[in-house]
Amino acid sequence: MMKEEYLSVFVDESRETLQNLNDNLLKLENNSEDMETVNEVFRLLHTLKGMAGTMGFENMMKLCHKMENVLDKVRSGNIKLTGDLMDKLFTGVDIVERMVNNIVESGNDVLEDIDVDSIVRSFDEIQGAETETESEKTEEKKEERSEKVEGIPIEVEEPVRNVVEKAIGEGFNSYYIRVTLKEGTQLKSARMYLVFHKIEEMGGEVVKTVPPVEDIEEEKFDLDVDMIVIIKKNKEDLVQAITSISDIDKVIIKDFMPKTPSVEEKPKEVKEEVKVEEKAAEEKKTKKKLTQTVRVDIDKLDTLMNLMGELVIARSRIVDTLKKYNIKEVDESLAQLSRITLDLQNIVMKIRMVPIAFVFNRFPRMVRDLSKKMGKEVNFIIKGEETELDRTFVEEIGEPILHLLRNAIDHGIESKEERIAKGKPPIGTIVLSARHEGNNVVIEIQDDGRGMDRDKIVKRAIEMGLIDELKASTLPDEKVFEFLFMPGFSTKEDVSEVSGRGVGMDVVKNVVESLNGSVSIESQKDVGTKVTIRLPLTLAIIQALLVKVDNYVYAIPIANIDSTLMVSKDDIQTVQDKEVIVIRGEVIPIYRLWEVLEIPHETEEEAMNTVIIRIGNRKYGLVVDKLLGQEDIVIKSLGKMFSDVKEFSGAAILGDGSIALILDVSSIA
Amino acid sequence: MDTAVEEFEVLSFKLGDQDMAFDVENVEMVIETPQITRVPKSKNVIEGVINLRGRIVAVANLPKMLDLDVDVEKLKSVIIMNVSDVEIGFLVEEVNGVMRVTEDEYDRNVVSEKFGKKSKGLIKKDENDLVVYLDVNEIVSEIVSAGT
Repeated sequence: MMKEEYLSVFVDESRETLQNLNDNLLKLENNSEDMETVNEVFRLLHTLKGMAGTMGFENMMKLCHKMENVLDKVRSGNIKLTGDLMDKLFTGVDIVERMVNNIVESGNDVLEDIDVDSIVRSFDEIQGAETETESEKTEEKKEERSEKVEGIPIEVEEPVRNVVEKAIGEGFNSYYIRVTLKEGTQLKSARMYLVFHKIEEMGGEVVKTVPPVEDIEEEKFDLDVDMIVIIKKNKEDLVQAITSISDIDKVIIKDFMPKTPSVEEKPKEVKEEVKVEEKAAEEKKTKKKLTQTVRVDIDKLDTLMNLMGELVIARSRIVDTLKKYNIKEVDESLAQLSRITLDLQNIVMKIRMVPIAFVFNRFPRMVRDLSKKMGKEVNFIIKGEETELDRTFVEEIGEPILHLLRNAIDHGIESKEERIAKGKPPIGTIVLSARHEGNNVVIEIQDDGRGMDRDKIVKRAIEMGLIDELKASTLPDEKVFEFLFMPGFSTKEDVSEVSGRGVGMDVVKNVVESLNGSVSIESQKDVGTKVTIRLPLTLAIIQALLVKVDNYVYAIPIANIDSTLMVSKDDIQTVQDKEVIVIRGEVIPIYRLWEVLEIPHETEEEAMNTVIIRIGNRKYGLVVDKLLGQEDIVIKSLGKMFSDVKEFSGAAILGDGSIALILDVSSIA
Repeated sequence: MDTAVEEFEVLSFKLGDQDMAFDVENVEMVIETPQITRVPKSKNVIEGVINLRGRIVAVANLPKMLDLDVDVEKLKSVIIMNVSDVEIGFLVEEVNGVMRVTEDEYDRNVVSEKFGKKSKGLIKKDENDLVVYLDVNEIVSEIVSAGT
């Protein structure tokens, strides 16, 4: 029962530790001499081993233990960190990761397709038989040392130590007790059972005995039994209680203090030890700062968000109603209410925000593996991983980015030889960055690879009948690259190979657009490619411009609005059967919303309210009857009955209780 | 022996000059027809959406669905149904109320040419009182798969 209670904590913490391990191993791969990182990896493996041991996952513990030993050897300079060894460590970490996943799924750490023992042996091979015994020896030495300090003649393994540490943290005392029975005692195991029983009666727990409990039960011991006990009572009470049991000759009791592993790690020099301790303390400090969080059920957050939405609507309603009466007295309290709701809304939104590091973290490892596999050298740089975004995106956006990175490595970055021939630095660079821009989160994946071949893309587009040759020649680059997002555009081998991008770009676009975002490509031959993903900060509440057509109100997300202006009929020109307007030299197509939505509409004013929509690099104008103004709206799904209507991304309830449909500006034109 | 006879409840309502009924289990509530916001380019049997206590609910034009000629102006009530967790409203003329039906009164063998699978049969209270028993699951799935 206890186990289940701790299982989710164990899984969460293991995953966190694994992520840390991966990060540090990557660091180590770049600089194998970095002793600090070696220590960190050692410490992390040690932690992982301890956790696995506490939960009783033997395979995981064994594997972590072996890797820890290897690191220990590296630390002491006995073996060198070769690329081969790094690979083995990475594989080891991967297996541990799979074990953790397996624990989540089926509750145990047994992987059917992997023989843990053989992997453990492969680590033994690295260490060599000799070093292995030596490491065992040092371990023994360590224990001896602690014996001397503590004066406690039994070995206490890591899991027990953890339990004790935890208990101490919860206000328990921990004692080492030696109980000696009288010479010639009959039923020795029964006597010992009484001792254990007594301790448990007093609210204590025996966490460790020497000899082990099984042996005691079978009377496989002489007269002495050593044990570690955690209990809230003090020594005197405990001794008194135990000696009250008949046939007990003698009870020795001592305080037992488990040592923290970080302190006992390095027995070298006193000076250094102090340093380590300081560092550990420092670490603890920063750790503490990081871990002052509460894990909250995501459902609860969603409920909170929904309630928040209702509150926003209710507020708008009150404001609307009171506007009619123009009562001075309520103005101030109303303003205050608005302020509070706004603050509350911001906080609730922030609660849902997580740093994009959650998504980015796994990429360095993947880029490393992939570039290694393809025999390319890549310098992978991550920027702005602290940028926060709505947690709904975190689960969704990983795949598209992964895909784009894979493309960048696979097709973008050239081989070393090719790069040298082109006069580029031999090692390619991929930059993954995130930043806030207004109400958007902008994620960019930029490489300095071969870029896209415009001509090849155009050729393919003509082949597919997407465009004719005449038009193609005048098409701006970004329009050309947009073809890549068409489903099935680059299924043809040669295109994906030569153009440097391709397979599955339509999937990327679909995912991003389903999150109300947009994606665009910039590329220059032999200079590189940049893919930009724009996402709204949050999905649930957005700022929107309300517009009116035929007495119905529609909402346009502010994030997609470039500007609004009045367009007179004379401003509209016709180019290739399309109506356009020219703003500051830019040719922008315009559409009438009623035509787009196929609503009958009679009058057309001389001057028309036009909203200029911007999606990525694309712009178009949308003519509406009336602009109503800006409002915070809560997006609600239209539901299954409207799954075929792509013009709307949802609906919002306005202050007066009426409904505004939210235009999906990326699919209406 | 009365208790041995299977009984069930339906909500009966008027459409044109015909009485019809839905299973009462799926009925959430009946409301007066509120302001309906039409959704351009949606299926033609869908009249639009309404604000139902903060929720957006689709409203279907039931007579249109059943190929009956009833003026939209006459559809004064909306029956809000919950069909496998999808909320949907049906515009009807007038709701008669809940009706208790025994197995004896329910004739599942009458196949209506006009309504096809949308009807589960007829309920005969007496010779002059016939109620078309509609299959709401079938109706909803036909709406979902319908074109615009």
